[in-house]
Amino acid sequence: MSTTDLSRRRFLAGSAAIGLSGALGGCVGSGGSNDGGGGGGGESAGSSGPLTLQSSAADPQPKAALKAVVDTFDGPETTINTVAVENFRAQLPTYLTSENPPDVLTWYAGSVARDYASEGLLLDVSELWEGDGACAGFSDALRELSTTEDGTQIFVPTHYYWWGVFHRRSAFDQWGIQAPETWDDFLALCETLLGQGITPLTMGTGSTPWMSSGWFDYLNLRINGPEFHLALLSGEHSFDSAEVRAVMDEYAKLIPFIDPNGRSYSWQEAVTPLVQNKAAMYLVGAFFTESVPSDVVDDIDFFRVPIIDDSLPLAEEAPTDGYFAASRTDNPAGAKELMSHLAAPESQEVYVAKAGGAFLPTSTDVDTSGFSPMIQKGITLLEESDQLTQFFNRDSSDELQTTADTALTRFLDQPDQVDDILAQWQQAAEQVFQG
Amino acid sequence: MSSTQVATPETSSHDGRQPVRAGRRWRRVPPLVWVFLLVPLAVELAWVFWPALNSFSLSLTKWNGVGAAEPVGLDNYRRMFDDPIVRTAVTNTVIWIVVFGGLSVLIGLGLAVALNRPRRGVGLYRSAIYLPMVFALAVTGLFWRVLYQPGGTVNSALENIGLDGVARQWLADPDTALYAVLVAAIWRQVGYIMVLYLAGLKGCDPSLEEAAAVDGASAWQRFRYVVFPQLRGVNTVVFAITVIDSLRTFDIVWAMTRGGPYNSSQLLSTYMFEQGFTALNLGYSSALAVVIFVLAIGFIITYLVRATRED
Repeated sequence: MSTTDLSRRRFLAGSAAIGLSGALGGCVGSGGSNDGGGGGGGESAGSSGPLTLQSSAADPQPKAALKAVVDTFDGPETTINTVAVENFRAQLPTYLTSENPPDVLTWYAGSVARDYASEGLLLDVSELWEGDGACAGFSDALRELSTTEDGTQIFVPTHYYWWGVFHRRSAFDQWGIQAPETWDDFLALCETLLGQGITPLTMGTGSTPWMSSGWFDYLNLRINGPEFHLALLSGEHSFDSAEVRAVMDEYAKLIPFIDPNGRSYSWQEAVTPLVQNKAAMYLVGAFFTESVPSDVVDDIDFFRVPIIDDSLPLAEEAPTDGYFAASRTDNPAGAKELMSHLAAPESQEVYVAKAGGAFLPTSTDVDTSGFSPMIQKGITLLEESDQLTQFFNRDSSDELQTTADTALTRFLDQPDQVDDILAQWQQAAEQVFQG
Repeated sequence: MSSTQVATPETSSHDGRQPVRAGRRWRRVPPLVWVFLLVPLAVELAWVFWPALNSFSLSLTKWNGVGAAEPVGLDNYRRMFDDPIVRTAVTNTVIWIVVFGGLSVLIGLGLAVALNRPRRGVGLYRSAIYLPMVFALAVTGLFWRVLYQPGGTVNSALENIGLDGVARQWLADPDTALYAVLVAAIWRQVGYIMVLYLAGLKGCDPSLEEAAAVDGASAWQRFRYVVFPQLRGVNTVVFAITVIDSLRTFDIVWAMTRGGPYNSSQLLSTYMFEQGFTALNLGYSSALAVVIFVLAIGFIITYLVRATRED
């Protein structure tokens, strides 16, 4: 009797141990597990181990869109691991430095990707940008964005979006107003709307304080130009300077027009006053249309943030998303194959159609004629621009973004404290650039 | 509670065979049981204690998660002294411990005393007060965020009773954000403390209180000098729970304000998270974690030493 008892226990212990080792194995890494394959061999061996695509697209629509694209990939078997974006951000260094990293990862173009590339963590994908590679036909702006300081390409951009001042067409008609051409017209329009009891601008800076950087970026681009803006974000200028002060002076003029309740809202919640015609305009990325009720989406229109100094190159924010691959991947050939597939016009078309929001394809070969008039207008907006920037955090770092959040949300509350705010911002920024 | 625990070893030595039997039992423990004990221990050591120890060594480095950590000595700790946000976070953490701990214990104890006696519907009240405890802190946070919204329940209620001037954006106002979150946290904690004290009150000897009443003690005197001293064991538990809960408070603040507006409701824990997982300053963030750990351990040890000395 005791023996059977014991054997049952032993069985339990054994299965517990197996379960444990399985759990441990699961924690260590999620990359392809053929150890021999790619290590020293190079790409010519045609290694065909399975691939892992680590994805931060956790919202239902983009997630389904990515799955639809990967399902049509006829290369190595590919598994998508979807991780919520906050965790993804925190774990990204771990993914890239692990012994057995995910092969291909979703992320942002620009300074973040370049930082990882300078550590040698990203796979050189220059061949996709040459000859008949999948990215060869992409615009020069995208090529520049995906290139490191030593001239190699490490990023495959697949879609992007634009920022603009969004509004409801029917509401503008009802109020008898039109999209302003100049900055003075814009301020006058805000004044008129306020006089009619309509909140001119909505903006959700409560749980998404980074929204306050939208106007900062644009005013800096319009007043000091993109060159100064990018230099400022890389630590070459002071936030406590006359140039930034000029930006804040202009920003201060907007504060009376911004919905004060927005301080309690997220960017999603701030869409509601716009949809209900209580607020007239919203400076936001085109992604916001996924929070607009479907029967209102067709009524949404936008205009470019008016030009303030027309001697400056015309810049727009166009945050770009795409993929990079870990340099330690077991299967570099397979990773490039997958990235080529993701960047192919047909894949981009499927993704843009299914992902919701208003994404623009990076490939010029995508047939855009079926896209909505607003997306067509977005494409034109970016084509007319001299330079594209990303957004505050993407052009600098998430760490610098937290300093901007603190400074700008405080500025929205206490515009008269601007001297103190800028001094503290600069102090915090110095800490970031040193650190 | 603690008195009975302390008494056990003394009473257990009453028969001389005890040590022998204990030794035999020790040898009789089958190896399988050891496996069941040691495997979880190994897991705990590998996944909890080892990483926790690592945060001590990480706190002496500068590391963004990529490449090798660069040793910087005590720089991270020095940086804390100059960091204005750490100053705010420390102040807020102290406010949090005092107000959260003080009010939840006072209200919890008050409710326990009030609901201790059997009365009609008392179970309903107890359940209603305990109910918030079953929601996750993050859910509580989201729920209260809705109440505090401009035009939300709190402001409408204030306007309806003519207090329009008091209505404000509770979570977006740096003067009120921390306290608005505190209200939500206390609302949830009170039920827990109440249940602990109810259990303690059930263990009190009613004849002592009756005797004091016969001797002419007032209700307050009976509570202060007869009932409360009997709750000492529960008090130790409540104190430990309250201090640990206050210092590890993170989710409700993160869900409601993320430490904002402009860091005015930042606690040490939320600032540690922000530095670690948003800014990827893993060295600085580990140093903050070490400070939180030292504070928590310091509080608990001081209290336990005092409590045991009194015994």
